[in-house]
Parts: sequence; C-alpha cells; structure tokens
Amino acid sequence: MRRLRYSYHMELTFELPVNEHHFKLRCFPSSDERQKISYTRIEIYPQHFSTEEPDSFGNMCIFGTARQSHERFSVDVEGTAEIDASGQVAAIPSKTGIFKYETALTKAGKTIREFHRSLDPMNWMTGYERTVYMMNELYPEFRYVPGVTGILTSAEDAFRLRRGVCQDYAQILLALCRLERIPCRYVAGMIPGEGATHAWIDVCDGGVWRGIDPTHNRECDDTYIKISGGRDAQDCAINQGVFYGGGKQTQTVKVIVKIM
Amino acid sequence: MAIPEELYPYSGSVNELLARYGVKFGIYKNGVFNEQLFPFDIIPRIIERREFEYLERGLKQRVKALNEFIRDVYSDKKIIADGVIPEDFVYSGSGWLAQCDGVNPPQNIYSHISGIDLVQAKNGEWFILEDNLRIPSGASYPMIARELCRRSAPSVFAENRIEDNRNYAQLLRRTMDYVNTGGLSVILTPGRFNAAYFEHSYFAELTGARLVTCEDLVVEDEHLYFKDYSGKKEQVGAVYRRISDEYLDPVNFNRESLIGVPHVFEIYKKGRVALLNAPGNGAADDKGIYYFVPAMIRYYLHEDPVLNNAPTYLLYYERDMKYVLEHFDSLVIKDVAEAGGYGIIFGDSLSAEKKAEFIDLLKAEPRRFIAQEVIDFKDIDIFDGEAGKRVPRKADFRAFVLMNDEPVVWKSGLTRFSRNPDSFVVNSSQGGGFKDTWVMEE
Repeated sequence: MRRLRYSYHMELTFELPVNEHHFKLRCFPSSDERQKISYTRIEIYPQHFSTEEPDSFGNMCIFGTARQSHERFSVDVEGTAEIDASGQVAAIPSKTGIFKYETALTKAGKTIREFHRSLDPMNWMTGYERTVYMMNELYPEFRYVPGVTGILTSAEDAFRLRRGVCQDYAQILLALCRLERIPCRYVAGMIPGEGATHAWIDVCDGGVWRGIDPTHNRECDDTYIKISGGRDAQDCAINQGVFYGGGKQTQTVKVIVKIM
Repeated sequence: MAIPEELYPYSGSVNELLARYGVKFGIYKNGVFNEQLFPFDIIPRIIERREFEYLERGLKQRVKALNEFIRDVYSDKKIIADGVIPEDFVYSGSGWLAQCDGVNPPQNIYSHISGIDLVQAKNGEWFILEDNLRIPSGASYPMIARELCRRSAPSVFAENRIEDNRNYAQLLRRTMDYVNTGGLSVILTPGRFNAAYFEHSYFAELTGARLVTCEDLVVEDEHLYFKDYSGKKEQVGAVYRRISDEYLDPVNFNRESLIGVPHVFEIYKKGRVALLNAPGNGAADDKGIYYFVPAMIRYYLHEDPVLNNAPTYLLYYERDMKYVLEHFDSLVIKDVAEAGGYGIIFGDSLSAEKKAEFIDLLKAEPRRFIAQEVIDFKDIDIFDGEAGKRVPRKADFRAFVLMNDEPVVWKSGLTRFSRNPDSFVVNSSQGGGFKDTWVMEE
C-alpha cells in the first residue's frame, strides 16, 4: 500500500474570446480495487453548468457548457491516491471482447506487421506473458523522443518513425497484442514526478486487468495512478470540446505526483 | 390484378409534377453536388394480399429479432457468449459504437424505422437482400407518386381495392409519440443539400412534427429544447434525426463535426429525449451481420425464419472461402463497409488479372467481404414513354417496418428498378428509378 498526492492542471488559452463552449473532461481518477482516490479540489474555470457521468468504459467525465465569453479555460484536480498493487480489477467478460480489436489508432500496418513477424511465435504461455515478451522486444526498437508525434499519431505512423512518447509506446504494444487478439486496453494516468500525464496498457490476465508500462519496459507498481481506460488514446482524451470563436489555441498540462 | 393501362397517358405529367414538387436526389460525385430527378415509372408493382401477408409475417419477425440483437450487443452480449455470432463480426464492423454500450433507449427500441430490401426470384420466391436500419429513406416517394396518380386518374383508385398508403404519416407520428419522453417531436435534417431533403420536409408537413436543423436545438439544464426565431424555447421529447451517428453530437462523437447538437447524446443516455433511430443501431445492418440474421431469429425468438436471406457465403469461414474460390464467376462479392450500390463486384465481370488481384485481397481481408449467389430477379415491366410500350427491368423492393409496441409493416413500399436493361443495380444513387407499390386489399 502506498499513498500518493497528485495535482493535475490543464489550461487552454485562446487568442480570441470564445463563447458557447461545450466540453467533456475526462481527467478524474476514480476508485477501484487497486486504487482508492480522494479529492481535495476540482475546479473548472470559467463559470459553467456541468454534470458528472461515467462514459461507457466507466471513466468519470464532467460534461459542461460555459456560455459567457472567455479567453481561458482551465481545470484543476487535486487529491490523494492509496494504491494497493495486489488489488484485482476484474475484467467483466461482456465488456472485454471489444479490447481485442484494432481501432484506427491501433491498427497494425505494414511496419508493425513486419516487426510482429520477426517475433518468436512460440515464446509465450499466457496472453499476459506474451505481452511482456513483446514489450521487451519492442523496447530496444523505439526511442523516447518528445515532439515528433502528436495526439492523433497512429501506432503505425509512430512505429515507422521509431520515435515517440508514452502514448506511442502504449498504442504500438496494443497493436501488437490485437494482432493476436489479446484483450488489452489503453490507460491514461499519472506517475511520480512533474510533467505531463503518462500512458501504459492493461492486459487481461485470467479475468483480471494487469498494467504494464512499455515506455519504461516494466510492470506497473503501486506508483501508477490510473485516470481513464479505453481502446486507445482517443477514448481517453482529456478534453473534447466545441465552441465559437477562439482563433489559435494553446494547451498546457501540468501533473505533479508525490510519494507521501 | 392486371396492369392499370389507364395510367399510361399520365407518365409524363406525373414526372413533371414530381420535379416541380422537388422530388430529387442530390448526389455528391467527385466533390460536386448535383441534384437529379428520381425517375418515376407509372406502372406500379402489385402485390396480392396473400403474398403481402406472408412478407409481413417475415418482416415483423426479422425486425423483432434485429431489435433484440441490438439490445443484446449493447448489454449482456449473450449471443456472443453462446457462440451464435463470432464477436469479430460485432466488434470489427463499423456499426458497433463503444459510446452506446450499456445505453437503454426509451422503450428499449433501437430500430424504429427499418427499410428492408427484398428481391423476388424468377420462381416467385422472395429473398432478403439487405437490412437498412441507420437512416433508411424512400417512403416519401411512393406516397407522393400515389397522390399525384390519384389526382391524375381517380377512377383507377376508386375501382381497384388498393391499400391506401397515406397512413405512413400516422404510423410515423405514432412511432415518434410512442417513445417521446415529453415535449415536441421534431425531424432533424442536415439541410437542403441532403439527398433526402424532400423526404424530410414532406414528413414534417404530413406528421406535424417540426422540421429543424441542428442550430435550432440546444441542450440546457439536461433537457433538449427547440429555439424559435424569437428565442422562445420549447422542450423536445423525440428527435427523428436524419443525420448519421458520427455527426450527431461533436462532444460525444466526431469532434470535427461542424453540425450536430452538443450534449444531446448524454441526455439521451439519461432517458430525457428519444432519438430515432437509436445511435449505434448500425451494429445490426452490417453486411457481415446480415449473414447471421436467420440464426438470430432462431436464437431470440425460437422460430424458423419466414423469409430467407439470399444464399450468402462468409469468407471468414474456410468452408465458405473454398466455395467462393471455386465458384467465383457465378457470385457477386460485396464489401461490407459500402452501401448505396457501391463496392459490389460481379465475379464474371473481372479480367483474369483483376480477378487474381481481387482474390488476393479477399484472402488478405476475409472479414471485409461477403459473397452471394446472383439471384435471377423476376423482371417487372416499366412503361417506356418514348417507345410507347412496356419493357422488362430488374427491380427490388424496400419494405418499411415501424416499431411501436409491436412492429408494423407499411402496406406499400419503394420499388426501385434499374434503367439499364443489363444491370442488377437498382440504387437511386446509381441512377435507378422508382415505382409505387400497390398492396391489394383482397
């Protein structure tokens, strides 16, 4: 059992004022068998009307509308997480099948298929062990380089570049797993330190979700706070919004997680 | 009954009136929007009462099972767990939407208005060709054509006992009212550049529902409102939406959508408004899923299917793949992701080189295609105005099934024919024409 304190800050600034801003925020970790979450603060600017509702993957979302004109939109989330790495998060059978299938972002193209063919087809026992094996093989083939890929970059495109960030590592590993129909999901979350959000994957292992982190080539321990899960990065998008006006917009995200 | 020759002289004038009323089909081709007339043939398809009763039984059964299937794949997924349908076909098609998993629409209806396409073979047997559940269009065309024919030659309709098809408006109204959660019923159109805009406005006029575009609707305090010119708001309880799922709500579906009503999907999930047809119901109208509809009928209803599918092979199954490769030239291959008469390939139409290329594609992506026996359609006559005589053409039949507490089959339908004498493709987007369909009272 480990206690962590986290704070999450996201801010959008607009060149020109916006109004009629409709948003859906998905940046609120929720409690499960592995993590107990408490909040000390959730603040959304500007003034708005909103409701809370889980999406179909069970991620907590806040849906809202800010009607008045504003040039800044921000959300602040703070709280503590108690993580028990031995806690078992059950994979509900009727909600697990979908995670075996590729999405636009996790579709294996020529390059990923080629790499997949180079792997030893016999080297595995369970889907989980197979995934760990593929992660180990992937790790030396990909370099962590920020700035070359974006949030809409597909696994195939990232792998062709051989460079990218945690989202790309996670989506490439998902694409590999899905070629073998191993149920696996994308997880957006936070780890100790200061910076951006992190991403890893959950693999269904004997009816239980287990996390592995391809960016660090390791299994997830009790320092990983899950924010949301889905088929790919798009299902876990922090913010989906529409508004009038705005011109150019800039997004900044700052995450701080401290071990207590 | 015999073909009503008294109608022949009105062929030209009815078509002129249809053009004047705006019965047109808008088609985007190579990025250019063209409106073209939807040619009407004056000779109706005539279905005798007995025969229609048989079709009715089969259609009701089919739509009931399809509705059960959609409910199931968005809840417990028993049909997958029981091994009746491989999950590949549910999840890797374009129709199953993750956002809709676990959502219960008002009255548990997922396919309120279904357009089921059938063809009749030379021996008279009917086959189901396709289930259109997303936004099937076409009911307005036989309605207005009947109206114009009735005005042209009233005696034909007085002397023959033809089921009146004017009641489609009441059926549609009842379908909207049945699921309405309180407030107005509206018809949501993408606007006048849509291929079926005539139909949207015609239905609004006949049902008394308000014709709206996305900017007329707003979600506030977790309810949907219609805003009129003065800014006055009225609550909306049912939306017969004629825009596709992905453009419905940019906050919950395609964020690039420039149309749509932000947040409407959330309040729909909470049961505060009904959407017709239900988002995600395309899970059941995929051409791959079509193969399994007879199995669905047995599984959910414990009945034998009344109406058969056209003999279909699923390349996903090795046995079927083998059959398809051996009989390639006699089959028609369809891309499951395409609609509107696109992505259809007749085996015997390919050159040896193209054929080899295509077979490689089939092997690489077996999930993407189905193969069907080419049904030798029973020709029906059309009236060739220039030659002043009847000529045979291939035709299909789209029946409309509306779901209230029980499914109701409209006693008419859209008969589409190919204007090209050598073609089997009847889709209006491919230049086909249409006929009225008369169901006889006795």
